[in-house]
Amino acid sequence: MHILVVDDDPLAGEMTVAVLEEAGHTCQFAEHGMQALEALVDPAAFELVVSDMNMPLLSGLELFQEMRSQGLETPFVLLTGDDPEPLRARAPGILACLLKDASMEDSLPRLVEQL
Amino acid sequence: MATGKTESFKARKQKLRQSFITQFPQRLGQARELLIHLTPGSDQRERLDKLHLIFHTLKGSGASLGFDSIDASAKAAEHALREVLDQDGQVTVTDGLVAELEQQLHSLEALELALEPPHSHDTGPSFELSTRQATEGHVSKHRQRLVYLCDDDPQLAQELSGQLSCFGYQVIPFMTLDAVRQAFLAKPPGAIIMDVIFPEGRDAGPALIAEMNACLDRPVPSVFMSSRNDFAARLRSVQAGGNAYCPKPVKAVEMAEILDQLTNRIPSEPFNILVVDDDPDVAHFFAMVLEEAGMVTRVANEPEHVPGILECFDADLVLMDLYMPHCSGPDLARLLRQIPGYLSLPIIYVSSETDVDRQFKALEVGADGFLTKPLEPDRLVSEVRLRAERMRTLRSLMIRDSLTGLFNHNTILQLLEVALASCQRARNTLCIAMIDVDHFKLVNDTHGHPAGDQVLMALGRTLRLRLREVDLVGRYGGEEFAAILVGLDLDQAKTIIDGLRENFAAVTFFADGVEFHCSFSSGIAAFPEFSKASTLVEAADRALYRAKHAGRNRVEVAHDKTAAPEDT
Repeated sequence: MHILVVDDDPLAGEMTVAVLEEAGHTCQFAEHGMQALEALVDPAAFELVVSDMNMPLLSGLELFQEMRSQGLETPFVLLTGDDPEPLRARAPGILACLLKDASMEDSLPRLVEQL
Repeated sequence: MATGKTESFKARKQKLRQSFITQFPQRLGQARELLIHLTPGSDQRERLDKLHLIFHTLKGSGASLGFDSIDASAKAAEHALREVLDQDGQVTVTDGLVAELEQQLHSLEALELALEPPHSHDTGPSFELSTRQATEGHVSKHRQRLVYLCDDDPQLAQELSGQLSCFGYQVIPFMTLDAVRQAFLAKPPGAIIMDVIFPEGRDAGPALIAEMNACLDRPVPSVFMSSRNDFAARLRSVQAGGNAYCPKPVKAVEMAEILDQLTNRIPSEPFNILVVDDDPDVAHFFAMVLEEAGMVTRVANEPEHVPGILECFDADLVLMDLYMPHCSGPDLARLLRQIPGYLSLPIIYVSSETDVDRQFKALEVGADGFLTKPLEPDRLVSEVRLRAERMRTLRSLMIRDSLTGLFNHNTILQLLEVALASCQRARNTLCIAMIDVDHFKLVNDTHGHPAGDQVLMALGRTLRLRLREVDLVGRYGGEEFAAILVGLDLDQAKTIIDGLRENFAAVTFFADGVEFHCSFSSGIAAFPEFSKASTLVEAADRALYRAKHAGRNRVEVAHDKTAAPEDT
């Protein structure tokens, strides 16, 4: 699966990419929401977007909302360092909201596998 | 089985962790810089935004990369900033915010991040000394990790609190149960140290802890100390939720180690396990199971390779097959026991041998246990961990100096031999720095022995926190310390020790309300210029002697031309 990974922190983003590539997927990395939107100009380019929540300028949630308002229906996974529960409630259209810690190494590939 | 792929993932993750560790001091430095310029009462949204981003990123990448020790402080700082930034209109910096950020940044600065699983030779050549790392040892104005200490003996409470603050804790002493109860209710501490016997009763300390913790979701880590060392007292404190028990007299360094563990400041290093089995598949299977549980393993398929591997792999435990051709498990165990350094190395056999008599015979030659195949991975991990853990504790009691927690004289000399041998093989460089506190006798005479001890503890702590994990630090004698710096040349070593010297000279000590300062002198010698342990130590000592004679508070290096004893 070709996946767009969005994270303002290159180290954390690299880690997400490593986890996904390890599970056999290919990834492109975007450092912020605007870059992500540029990469998404071709709606068929990615089968999934995995984005960090807390980013300057455009948060992960705002990126998701912006995508949907542009008619981009790519499945969207949100990663957050805080309690994911309230976020899930705020964005019902999101595929999943995962806690961004060591558990992500298992939870993310498992989730993607089910798609 | 480990595939090439998982290894490459591991390698990638390891690299990312390394980058994180390398960048960590820089990021804290940036935060420190911003924090310095925060003035309470003014609107500094831009700076606060930047600070928020730094703490947020630290929290995020720290969590993704599994540096759990960062989480709490980064989260607290981020949260405090968020609260202020979320206010509409003017963003005013408050004293409370500055204090909170100060405390959390201080905790982060005191962290030692470990690259785990550390492949011993793979720690990277970089030498990171964060520019603004907390200089341990002085009673700083910073808010430190909060600890309550309660003992009805005022002198003990004061003294122990003072000593513990040298280890980076903010310790508040209380003399009565009522006082500590009130403080507890107002603000629960990070940990609490509690006497057992009070005028209120022989178990009043544990009783209060039980009562306090009953009102909290998460109990506060508690340590009991007591002149009672009977079973009933220990039982009572365990039942009250005590995490540790120290019979009096309590040594500050031991208490600090306990606090470090309870408040998770220093992540414990993974266990090193050597697996010996002539069947490579079996050996790799065990190795994989143990690696998955976070341990570091080496595999030997030939018994004759074992001594060589042990020389450069500091094993906590050896797991060996009972039946191997040419050299059986018991033979190998006996062989290892005849090498002085391995007398106490735990050895466990793995075998399908179920005959109790034969098991007993195999254990007689000095092995520590028997695991029978088929072996459940869970059981393998728990058996190995249990023994390795106990071994580590025992060993650390034997090899450490009780005041400073550093390696003792004999151990540091042994470690020097080991480090030298490994540097010879790897054609690596090594420096030894002999460090001696200036006018130490004067400190003792003027300010008393507790003040002198405080200085030694502070210096020991500074050395341990500020040098890399691969460096070895020991207390060589009374006020003399030795540091072994691997992979550095003389100039690099001098720069580092000089930096430490300047920091240490800036530390303010307090004794009975009087401020004083201390300094140290140091002499450094390098391998391969000096090739033997004894000549290295001698050369460093001579350089130290020159530093003392040239006016103290300075660092001198030894060169071959000065190797001949000077006529003085």
